[in-house]
Amino acid sequence: MDASMAGTILAAIFTLAIFSLLYRDNPFYRFAEHLLVGVSAGYYVVHYFSSAVLRKFAYPVFVSQDWWLLPGGLLGLLMLFRLSRHTQWVSRYAIAFYVAAWSGYLIPSVIQERVLVQIQGTIPQLIGATPGAVIGALILLVGVTTILVYFYFSAEHRGALNSLSRIGITFLMIGFGASFGYTVMGRVSLLIGRFQFLFQEVPEVLGL
Amino acid sequence: MHELSTHPVWHAPPHRGDRRTCQKALSAAAPPRAMVLLGMGRQNALRLLGMGLWISTALLAAPRAEPTPAPEAGAPIECRLDVRDAPNDKGTALEICWRAPADSADITVYAIERRDPETGDWQPVGTVSPAVAARDPQGGFRHQDRRAIEPNRTYAYRLAVVRSGARGAPPETLHTAAATGVARAQWFNHDRLPAAIAVLLFSASLLLFIRWARGGRDLFIRRIAGLEAVDEAVGRATEMGRPVLYSPGLDPMEEVATVASVNILGQVARKCGEYETRLIMPNRDAIVMTVAQEVVREAYTEIGRPDLYDPNDIYYTTQSQFGYAAAVCGTMMRERPATNFFIGHFYAESLILAETGNATGAIQIAGTDSDSQLPFFITACDYTLIGEELYAGSVYLSREPLLLGALKGQDAAKAVILALLLGGTILMLAGVDIRPLLG
Amino acid sequence: MKKTGPVILGFLVGILMLVQYFTPNAWIEARYNNVLDWKQVVFGMTLILGVVSLFLYHWRKISRRQSGWGYSVVTIGGLLFMIFAALIWSPEAGPYRWMFDYVQAPMQATMFALLAFYVASASYRAFRARGFHAALLLTAGVIVMLGRVPLGELIGVRIGETHISLATISSWILDYPNLAAKRGVMIGVGLGMTATAIKIIVGIERTYLGRGA
Repeated sequence: MDASMAGTILAAIFTLAIFSLLYRDNPFYRFAEHLLVGVSAGYYVVHYFSSAVLRKFAYPVFVSQDWWLLPGGLLGLLMLFRLSRHTQWVSRYAIAFYVAAWSGYLIPSVIQERVLVQIQGTIPQLIGATPGAVIGALILLVGVTTILVYFYFSAEHRGALNSLSRIGITFLMIGFGASFGYTVMGRVSLLIGRFQFLFQEVPEVLGL
Repeated sequence: MHELSTHPVWHAPPHRGDRRTCQKALSAAAPPRAMVLLGMGRQNALRLLGMGLWISTALLAAPRAEPTPAPEAGAPIECRLDVRDAPNDKGTALEICWRAPADSADITVYAIERRDPETGDWQPVGTVSPAVAARDPQGGFRHQDRRAIEPNRTYAYRLAVVRSGARGAPPETLHTAAATGVARAQWFNHDRLPAAIAVLLFSASLLLFIRWARGGRDLFIRRIAGLEAVDEAVGRATEMGRPVLYSPGLDPMEEVATVASVNILGQVARKCGEYETRLIMPNRDAIVMTVAQEVVREAYTEIGRPDLYDPNDIYYTTQSQFGYAAAVCGTMMRERPATNFFIGHFYAESLILAETGNATGAIQIAGTDSDSQLPFFITACDYTLIGEELYAGSVYLSREPLLLGALKGQDAAKAVILALLLGGTILMLAGVDIRPLLG
Repeated sequence: MKKTGPVILGFLVGILMLVQYFTPNAWIEARYNNVLDWKQVVFGMTLILGVVSLFLYHWRKISRRQSGWGYSVVTIGGLLFMIFAALIWSPEAGPYRWMFDYVQAPMQATMFALLAFYVASASYRAFRARGFHAALLLTAGVIVMLGRVPLGELIGVRIGETHISLATISSWILDYPNLAAKRGVMIGVGLGMTATAIKIIVGIERTYLGRGA
């Protein structure tokens, strides 16, 4: 038995062990779950240590003397101060850097992509459009505006505000239902993929 | 490459790569589309939307009609060449622009060359077929050269108009033109002016409302059902003598959904502390884990019960998405928490978590900004914070005046967006399209 | 030092990252790329904290002989095996790669495939739900689900000469009401995200630094 055959048999056993969760928690699932956690934690720590710490810090700084990458390593080391409760505050510098850097990046890109572009796409071009397109564009406009009314937190939803926000909720539910229905077939194909592995690939490898 | 004869028909003046020079020189030829928009948009916007500042400033970014040389009136095969600075970049690109000759039916290719500033040799930049070349609105051609161009240096280009010979005959160069240009670095990307204005206005309104809230005003915020249920959900766990499980989602600490989740965690931890109920929190991200440990410990300390804090209850599992899902499912099956919170950004594992929680009979409160996972949480959980409600949640629970002020700022922005949507639609009916002003 | 220093650092870095969006300046672009690299390094280093936490969590279970401590041995075994396999052989091949291909990847794929069952149970739950909005969700879901399979082309109504199939209705729902829902949520979330990010940069939002900050 070669390594690949042994691996396929093992993969089939672990596939069944994970599927057993559908019945209830049991020792097979528990074993598979604990192994998956340990192995994947080890996999990712090696992966990120190699792709980030070595390639973006250790090699460039100590081999190529690219001093611009030194602060990354220093900030990373500050994170390790979290291991002791008394020195934990030092790591705040690294966390503040980490969180605020991404926040700064997000502000303009989110405003552009999630707000301005969406407003742009919602303002309808009604003149010269077919009746079907006009109806669709108006539904889109009514949907977006009433959903925004639903997300208005500064006033109690009563009277007209309540009516509009209820229309908004109606749009949300239709939209969520559609997303749900859209996903179902994709999920089924995932299952088919695992069944193909169990009932086609495994017997082939075992010569059955 | 064909042999090119240097026969400039029209020389560009030095430094014509400067964008302003180009636009000024060509403004007579360019149709005044932007100017039309400027006049109509400003008047209508002021009258209908009260958004004068935004729209009129955004209009300054709008004149993007490509400057083009004046229409050709000379011999059929003559071709004007213009080398311009590519806009909105760091000075590392030039735009080679030319108009098709009046009789261009026979032209098979335009060949562009650049003179090496060091050696003086002509080197090919590219050949452009008239059928696929980038066009500007006036029918001219454009080709961008991005190969090793340095800012503030003059580059000379020449263009050959080539017709392929019939039946194996050698290609024929109909005409050549030459020009020079200088690439300049810009400090501001004008294409992003609308976003800059929106960021400034939104930030200003937020800070204004926060300042207003600091004045001690009583700020109203409507009821959010999912958060009203937090007390009941934690109380249920206490009555049943079972723990509460909190999942902060899969995103790292840098994502604002996780920041919002950690805020809500603080409030949930306070409730758990008050009811002396154990709080379990498996994490996928190590930074989120360390931050959560600190937040929970401080929540317990604030209510005078630091003894309840157990760092083992807030632990790291694995970076793997489905490894994390397996671990949380296992915890739910074994620890049987009476209440599950799934608050943060989730991916496909959302339904695995929520359905497993359902199978254990837990009351479940979810909140996510991930629109693709909301349908699953809505179906499988008792309460779901939809989208922006997640961000409003921490404000709602903490009632901190500063955060309340910021929420008011968000609502003001929504009012402006509604005005833009409705006003923009009315303007569209009047024949004015404000969409290009939004970026 | 403990409180203000991190907030000032966050403010400066946040402003740099914000400004880089609007300027094509080469120096700022280079610093932006540096910040992205530094972030990756910080993230890589914090995984050490995660692994230490995971190890200690399970080690305590083993040393105290808590219920299920044997499974903790499996977790620690898997973790240490992967780290040492990468150090002794290579992360590109050998036992490290084998464990990924034959142990980790199939289990991850199977967890993902469980969704097919959970989608079915969630659909059943939606069927049982009462109320107008639950009915809407269910109806839209069923129409779109059927509209995406060949059967959806056949089922439909004929109005005059036109056959309106479930597939057509499904496309229409996805193009308009579904898009409206996505857009509405997206704009609201966009404002929430931006507001939170601004609060982080100016130091109003600092829970993530710990409440003492």
